[in-house]
Formats: sequence, C-alpha cells, structure tokens
Amino acid sequence: MAGAPSTALTTLADPEQVAFLPDKMPYIKPRLKIAEGDAVKVGTLLFEDKRNPGIRFLSPAGGTVRRIQFGPRRVIQAIVIDRHAQKEDHESFLAITSNELGTMDRKELVDRILQGGLWWVFRQLPFRDLPDPETMPPAIILGLSAKEPYQPLPKVYLQDRMDLMAFGVKVLKKLAQDRVMAFSNGDSPPPDEILPLLTHMVQGNYPSDDPGTFLYHTKSSPEENRAWFVSGQDLLLLAQLLAQGAYPVDRVVTVAGSRAPNPQHFRTRLGIPLSHLVEAAAMGEDARLVVGGLFRGYASDRYGFMGHYETALNLVPEGSGSEFLSLFNPGLLKPTYSRTFLSRLNPGVLRYDCNRHGGERACIACMHCSDICPVDIMPHKAYKAILADEVEEYLEHGLLDCVECGLCSYVCPSKIELTRTFIDAKAAYAKEPAG
Amino acid sequence: MKLIRNFFDSQRSRFAPGGPLGRWQAFFEAIENVFYGSAEVTRTAPHPRDNLSVQRYMMMVILAVLPCLFFGMYNVGLQAFQAAGRSAGHWPIFWFGVKTVMPLVLITYLFGFAWEIIFAAVRKHTISEGVFVTCILFPLTLPPTTPWWQAAIGISFGVVIGKEVFGGTGRNFLNPALTGRAFLYFAYPVQMSGDAVWTAVLPKASQAVDAMTAATPLVVAAGTQSTGTVEQTLNRAGYDLYTLFSGFYPASIGASSTLLCLLGAVALILLGVASYRIILGDIIGVVAMGYFLNLFAGQGAMPYLELNPWYHLLMGGTAFGIAFMTTDPVSAPHTHAARWIYGFCIGALTVIIRVFNPAFPEGIMLAILFMNVFAPLIDHMVVRFKISQRIPNV
Repeated sequence: MAGAPSTALTTLADPEQVAFLPDKMPYIKPRLKIAEGDAVKVGTLLFEDKRNPGIRFLSPAGGTVRRIQFGPRRVIQAIVIDRHAQKEDHESFLAITSNELGTMDRKELVDRILQGGLWWVFRQLPFRDLPDPETMPPAIILGLSAKEPYQPLPKVYLQDRMDLMAFGVKVLKKLAQDRVMAFSNGDSPPPDEILPLLTHMVQGNYPSDDPGTFLYHTKSSPEENRAWFVSGQDLLLLAQLLAQGAYPVDRVVTVAGSRAPNPQHFRTRLGIPLSHLVEAAAMGEDARLVVGGLFRGYASDRYGFMGHYETALNLVPEGSGSEFLSLFNPGLLKPTYSRTFLSRLNPGVLRYDCNRHGGERACIACMHCSDICPVDIMPHKAYKAILADEVEEYLEHGLLDCVECGLCSYVCPSKIELTRTFIDAKAAYAKEPAG
Repeated sequence: MKLIRNFFDSQRSRFAPGGPLGRWQAFFEAIENVFYGSAEVTRTAPHPRDNLSVQRYMMMVILAVLPCLFFGMYNVGLQAFQAAGRSAGHWPIFWFGVKTVMPLVLITYLFGFAWEIIFAAVRKHTISEGVFVTCILFPLTLPPTTPWWQAAIGISFGVVIGKEVFGGTGRNFLNPALTGRAFLYFAYPVQMSGDAVWTAVLPKASQAVDAMTAATPLVVAAGTQSTGTVEQTLNRAGYDLYTLFSGFYPASIGASSTLLCLLGAVALILLGVASYRIILGDIIGVVAMGYFLNLFAGQGAMPYLELNPWYHLLMGGTAFGIAFMTTDPVSAPHTHAARWIYGFCIGALTVIIRVFNPAFPEGIMLAILFMNVFAPLIDHMVVRFKISQRIPNV
C-alpha cells in the first residue's frame, strides 16, 4: 500500500487557530458554556454533556472563541478558537504524584479526571459511547498498536513518554481495580521499556489493533462485553493531566497516503486545522483528505480540523475518472482481496483510491465479507436481518461485536454499504430505551 | 476511445431519471459498465474499495465456460459428420458446429437479456451481470437439435420464473439456467430426450443416407443387460474412458468434455470465484454414493449398481454441472459449512437418480435443483450452530 509514513517525527509550531469538534464525540448532547467572542484559557469549560453534566469538555487553546459552527438540526460542528500567540493562559488543575495515586480513593480519581475534562478518552464497548463515571468497568483495554493505514506508530509517539505511559497504566489499574488489559501488535512492537506494562501480544493485520477485536478474541464470558477502552495517545493525555496539573494538548499525528507530499509523523496539538499539517497548495486537486485512517476516518474539506480522537491525516487520490475497458484489465496494479486480478502476484506497493470500482448490485453470496470479518460475524446474513428489522436475529449474529472496521464494505464486490448499515443499526439500538 | 466516451456522455442525460428514456437507466448503466469502469467515488468510510466488482466476478465465470462452448461447437460438428459417415477437415466441422450452436446462444442472450432489462425497468433494480452467465450456461446444456423457439421459451422461463419473480439476481433460490433447462425437459420431452436429439444432422447427408445416431453413454449405461458389466457395455458402444473424459461423444452442446470442465473448475477455484467446498463436496458425494451402491451389486442385482463411481463423474453432464452449475453462489447455501453438505448431497443424489430412475438418465440437473430448494434449510442449521458458539453480546 503506497504512502506509508516514515518514522521521522517533526515538531510543528503552534497553529493560529484550533477547534473542538463536538459532533465527532460519540452520542453526546452538548450544552454550550461559552459564546462567540468569549476569552478562554487552555482548559476552560467549553461545553458539557446534557446527559451527564459531570462530563466536561475543555478548551484546547487559550484565546478567543472565534465562531461556533452549527450544522443541520443545530448540531454543533465546531468551536473554533483564535489562539493568543504571545500569551496562552492555562487553567490549573491539581497534580498528583505516583505515591498519592496509590493511596487515593478511586472516587476521587474519577472526579479529578472529570474535572480535568478528559473523561472522553474512555469509551465503552460495544457502542463506543462515553462510559458512565458512576459505574465500574469489567475491564479497561489499552491498545498500543496501529494497524489501520495510517496511524502513528507506538514507537514514535511513545518516544520520551515512557514515564507518562507507566503512570497512565497505573491510573487505569486504579480505575479498573487491576482489571487492565494492555496489548500491542507483534509486527510493529512498541519500545522494549513498555513491554513489562503489556498483558497481551497480538498478531495479525488490521483490525487486530482494535480493542473490540481484542476483546472478542479474549473474552470468556458475556460480562466482559461492556469493557472500556482507551488508546495509547489518549492515555498519555490523561497521564499528563494528572501528573502535571495542566490540561494537555499534545498530539502525534501522521500525515500519510499516496498523495501526501512527505508522509511522516508530526508532533503537534489537539484540534489543529488540516492546513497546518499540509499546506493547501500541496494538497493537490484530486486528493481526498481523510481525517483518521482510510477505513474509519471521515472525509473533510481542506478548511477542516482534526477531531479529538483522530491522530492521522491521509491523502489519497479521489479516483473519480472512469477507466476505459477496466473490466478487461488484468489488473497488475489494482489492489484486491480476491484473486481476480494479477495484483495478487505483484509484490510491489499498490496505490489505493476512492473509486467505488463497480456498480451497486444485490448480494451474490461470494462470502468475502464473512471470510474477512475479524469477529466472525457473517455480514451478508446480519445485513439481511437488519434490512428485515429482525432485531433479535441480528443481535444473535453478533452485531454488537462488530468493530466497525470497514473491511466488509471494502471487499464487497456488490459495493453494499455493510459497515455503514451496521454502525447505524448499532447506534439506533444504543439509543433505544434500556430493556 | 474518445468516440465511445463521447457517445456515452451524450446519451447519459436521456437515460437519467426524468429523461425520455429514464426507465431504462439500468440498461444504460450495464452497457456503459462493459466499456468503462465506475466513475462513482465512495461517500462514506471505508474510503478505498476493492477493485473486484460483480461484473468482473461474472466475467471470470464466462471466461471459464468459453472453452466448453468452443469445444461444444467442434463436437457438434464432429458428431454430425460422424453420424453421416463422412469425414471432413477441422474447419468445416467447426464451422458446422458454429452454425448450429451460435443461433441458440444468440437467441438465449437476446431473450434472457431482454427479460432482465424489462424487469430492471419495471421493478427498478439494476441489471445484474449474472444474466450473462445464465445465458451462456443455458444453451450449453441443450441438445444441439433444440428448436430455436424452445431455446427462447426455456431461457425466458429460467430467467423470469427462476429469478426475476423473486426479485432478480441475489434473491433467486433456484439456478435460473437449470430452471429453464428443467422446464424444457419436462415440457418438451420429445426434443429433449431419446437417442436422436444429441446429434445435429447435416442437411445434405440426411437426404442421402439415414444419419446414424448413437445413444448417449447414460442411456447405454442404464440399458445394460445383465450379461455384462456397465463398463463393458459402455466400451462396446465406443465409450471408453478416454472418450468420456475428452468428451467426443453425442451429448448436450457444451457439457460433454470432463477435461474442459475440470480445467474450468480449477481456474475458478484458483480465481476464488467458485467455492472449492461445493466442488469437492460434489465429487465426494458422487464417489461415496457410487461405492456405497457397489456394496449392493452382485448376481441378480441391477448391473448399474456395480459401476465404478468415477464413471459417473465422466459421463453426461456431471462435470459441467459440478463446475458451473452447483457453484452458482446465489442458489447455493450462503455459509461455508453448508456448502460442503450441499455439494455432498448433490453428488449423492445424482448417482441415486441415475441408477434407480430409468426415466431420468441424467441426474445432476434434478439433484442441483432439489438441493437449491434445501440450501436455505442447511444454511439455517449452520447459522444456528455458529450462533450457539458465540459468547452472546446483547
């Protein structure tokens, strides 16, 4: 696959603007606490979740709220903040030492995290919603690998951050009462110093790095289904908050993809504008800007910002032209999961684009989706159950185990939007009243 | 190239919804897809998509069948000349075969595709390239003497009743090509069975001398007297192993050559288009049932019982059915485990029908259709089992 990032890590200067994108936070109902023109510090409350006002979301920059951008049905898409270049004020929080952490009450730790506005680093399977702070997680899963094309490699973002990571794992142990599972991928191992912190080593391609995949292959009882998870970089933020007493904004981001001018890692901040990573002139006319990985990220225009969970910007060709006689092309350069193109024998680097490569058709039961599903769902069967509104049936098929990796949609020769359908069905089920 | 691009671009607006030919948009799209790849880009994650499309998938099947088609043309000519007692060069033989077979193929495509277009327009679904496969498989299962109008009726029945009334490709539970073939078999037995239909007749020769037509291997085998084994009887009729394997004997147009079917099956398995589970299941089924029946052979029993099971794979349409008909993914079960069972049952049933039912010398067609009907049931059991293995997450 073309456009893999180098392991070079360049530190970028701070941008003039940063943004918080509330609609990229799962399921929350934001209640704004600031207005356009307000002055904010790093760590000032921007909005809280109406469902649970204790869950707070803080400003990633000090300066002035420039604009609040609303989308359809008054969805808050972005809170854009002009940064004070000279003097960026910080709200202060209580720092705790490693020793204090050991003796601290769990309840108090939860309160500190809520106060510090970083509860969002935790999400709960299977819906990937923010967990209820009142509850005790069956386990917390920490995933340190990055198999999706292309996310920052652990050995890059963990450089000089070993102590923080160790502290972060300690925080997790406190929160989950030692039920912490930390895993990494054997093919792209993290630095050796981190190995003692890990509980599992996994093998395999994307999405073996996903906490849902990990849970599916390790769980022994249904009680574990509601485990929480946190990503490596998000845990670093949390550790930084608690250890240093300041709202952290550090992020390591990859810029990658076959249209990226110089695929590599950058050390920068949360919520930066995309144009800060790649100059608009270098983006190219026919490139699609995917914030996040190619399989789960969202497409953005060149004026967009990075969401808080996102750690990658991938630039890939749009591929909107239609190719003459493509049906009869032996396809030495055409990436495919099937064996119908010569590219399967081509060891070279293949270039992916965003063309759909075929018309939408009915399912022909080629079985590719059920062969590739990382959690053994039979997507073609589950899809039909969803279309028929057979709730019981598609839950039995394991819809809630779905890790939303996108592979079934990717391989489908009929170009059926399987993953989208599964995500929507899960979200609809999550919003149903409990019971 | 530019010319073709411009042509499609200029016609696009006519076929757009609301345009004068808006109803036939699916037709436009299907034809454009033959010349051009999709211009559509993804609207949602995952952003890249596999290069494989249904069009490509179906084209692979057609490519795998083509050798059978060309062989069929040659063999039809060869059998006709042999029956007339004349010899000729390869090209006249092939040319006679082309003249006999091509009209059937063209008529099949004309009618099959027309029905697909009509249903696509009325039911507002896209044209599935599956119909191209159906239309090449169907004529290959016909006797070369099939009247043209019967080919038209057969494919119409197959496409409409076997597929379209259920919603088109992907929703049909019967193999459309075989549905059409079975319809002809039962509706017009005179033209579809007996000894005379399997050899096309040279127009001039038929006036000079009566053409010598030969019984097919299946009829010979079923008619074996108790004085000898089936193998001996087949050998006496000229059907030695080599003939059966290579396919140079009177049979339906494209189904006789086990060799080419084997090549097609191997190619499709290597391409990942056909399920090797079905194909192996079929073969195991035939052989297992064949050996099982051997146990009952002996003095006074039917001679057919002691036939070496491998003959079943060589005679008649078994190989063709296994390679191209059972592997239709839509009418087969939609789970891997069920495909093993499905294949095995087809193989076993084929042998049972052949041996015990003298009215139906060929068993594979009915075996496949019968198991098509049971495919959802096997699927259901497999799915239940797989669900019971999961740790529930509700």
